[in-house]
Amino acid sequence: MNISIIRKEFLELLRDGRAIGLSLIVSLLLMLALVTGLSTESAREQSIIQAKTADAAAFNAQGEKNPHSAAHFSRMAHKPIAPFSAFDPGVSSFLGQVIWLEAHYRNPAMFRAAEDAPELSRLENFSLAGVLALVIPLLGILLGYGSISSEKERGTLRQLIGSGTSLQTLLFGKFIVIVGILFTVLCAAVVFSTATSILFLDETGPAISDLLLRGFSLLLVYGLYIVSVTAITLLISSLVSESKTALLTLLAVWAIAVIALPRLSASIAEQVYPSPYSHEFWEDTDLRLEANRPENSSSDYEAVERRVIERALGRELEEGEIDDIEINARGLRFEVSEVIDSEGYNNAFAELFENYVKQKNLRRLMSLLSPTIALQHLSQAFSGTDVNAHQHFSNEAERQRNSIIRMLNEEMMFNGTGGASRYLAPAEFWETVPEFHYEQPRIASAWRASVPDFIIIFFWAFAGAAALRLLSRTSTKV
Amino acid sequence: MSELLLAQALTKKFQSQIALNELNLSVRQSEIVCLLGANGAGKTTTINLFLGFLEPTSGTATVDGLDVSSNLAEARAKLSYVPEQVSLYPSLSGLENLDYFIKLSGKKQQEESYLRELLDQVGLDQTAADNQVKSYSKGMRQKVGLAISLAKKAKALLLDEPLSGLDPSAANEFSNLLRKLANDGTAVLMATHDLFRAREISDRIGIMKSGCLVQELSSESFDQASLEKIYLEQMRQA
Repeated sequence: MNISIIRKEFLELLRDGRAIGLSLIVSLLLMLALVTGLSTESAREQSIIQAKTADAAAFNAQGEKNPHSAAHFSRMAHKPIAPFSAFDPGVSSFLGQVIWLEAHYRNPAMFRAAEDAPELSRLENFSLAGVLALVIPLLGILLGYGSISSEKERGTLRQLIGSGTSLQTLLFGKFIVIVGILFTVLCAAVVFSTATSILFLDETGPAISDLLLRGFSLLLVYGLYIVSVTAITLLISSLVSESKTALLTLLAVWAIAVIALPRLSASIAEQVYPSPYSHEFWEDTDLRLEANRPENSSSDYEAVERRVIERALGRELEEGEIDDIEINARGLRFEVSEVIDSEGYNNAFAELFENYVKQKNLRRLMSLLSPTIALQHLSQAFSGTDVNAHQHFSNEAERQRNSIIRMLNEEMMFNGTGGASRYLAPAEFWETVPEFHYEQPRIASAWRASVPDFIIIFFWAFAGAAALRLLSRTSTKV
Repeated sequence: MSELLLAQALTKKFQSQIALNELNLSVRQSEIVCLLGANGAGKTTTINLFLGFLEPTSGTATVDGLDVSSNLAEARAKLSYVPEQVSLYPSLSGLENLDYFIKLSGKKQQEESYLRELLDQVGLDQTAADNQVKSYSKGMRQKVGLAISLAKKAKALLLDEPLSGLDPSAANEFSNLLRKLANDGTAVLMATHDLFRAREISDRIGIMKSGCLVQELSSESFDQASLEKIYLEQMRQA
């Protein structure tokens, strides 16, 4: 029976010129979004490769130079292209791509595509994810607004029910058709994105299994979004008696849930948990660092000095040995200040990211009013372009900064002891400084952080389908 | 013969308005009963109560012994329904519509030749059967509606003003088909304004007024002129 409904619905759609026109427009939009995403990411990848090569070449070709001067010249940590950034660029454009690993400072990421963005998540990104989040509900509405209401208007519903067809069977058949069409569109987008991610994968990227799991996860959450959208569409089409009313109601719901609420939730989150302006953040961080620094002659300072020397030597110092060790005092001071400030920087950045998490939690709460918000969170998480992924990169880059600066400071501490006023490290030293090999977080970490969003989108799909089933069993109005 | 359609003290009220008042009516196997009456007399309400589109306020409507209120699906399975405007899917052909309605009424897959034969039986020519329904006249749509009912092989057929708007020739063909169906054992209950056709095809006629069955007549007991007179007298009475 359901096959008959599916066959008939497809036959009607095929013979309806509007449906074909709509499909062409949607396909065109998706292709455009995919090409735009791929071309942007491909250009970014090229620029990363070039910048990394140039950065390494410039660092290694410094010649004889003071390590501390080199520590200010230093290296750059380039954020690699996220697994599905062509599908969903997420917050990449807002949080920057490159971190300057400089002495004394934990710098934020630079090169933000949207420098003046007031919020982290915006819908207007012309990406496959953005188009899908907008177009899936719209396509679902255009395919389904008349599913039941037009049957009522034509009188065919009355005739079908009078012939012994149950509303439940009819609704289920129509549900399958709309979900099937939307899922086909989704599959095409996700499969193509997964294929291109695998095709452009280099040796530093994630494993193919990780990419496949990400593609599957995206299919799953967008699939749940499709189910909830279709259920809402059919519910409204069943509850009203005119197709015109169904269409207008659904378009109003679409405008509120898909356009207005995601923006509103971002604005509210920003109002409640404002992101600090750059100058505020640095003023506050400087004050904290200052407050955290012990006096140079204090026992706390001396304890850090001792720890730095022991770490550099790889052993504990014996009593009184510290006074006998020949060491470059400037190099030691630089490293001690790095160690002391490191904790302050880590706390300041942890608080900054914690603020983003609070914003996300508030948006999450508002996703109880719109599944699109939960979908955005999940899509960015599985694409590897959310705030968590950026925080992971930022922390790894900081670890690399600590490691490079320590290496340069220790070079100065133990080799700059010959009495020269300014130690110059040999030209070949720079090549011994390790490259930044960043391993992106795996899909499991994205899932761990996304459980609440998944529960919310699952709830939307389940509640929608359950409400539809309940309506089909209780409604007698034809 | 058994009573396939039976209304016992069947009443339907819409708030304070009585749409149907204590209707007692039966339609037996192979019998055609026509309900006559002005608009709002309760004819369509009676059909809707048998179809389960409305819940009775009191009384019962039974189909082949099954109470419609408590056995809706089973009762509907024994019924066929042809409304005043047979509603079909305009972008499908008559044949495709017939196929779709048959499958959705729970019947098994039918051979195309059988479906064509059904359409032929109701007088729809083979070329028209393959055309999209949007090009059909009302008479052609009614024929498809009747073919759907034929295919279902239901025990009882409910028709709500099926003849309105049909040209005399089409109405005549339609009446002949109904008679044939009844002869094959189907119980037919038809609401109509057409006194002539009612007299011609029915075995019994019920005259309804303000939700009440005011008179029930056997078609053999009077001629056309007498029916018209009886009907008009009933309508005039307060």
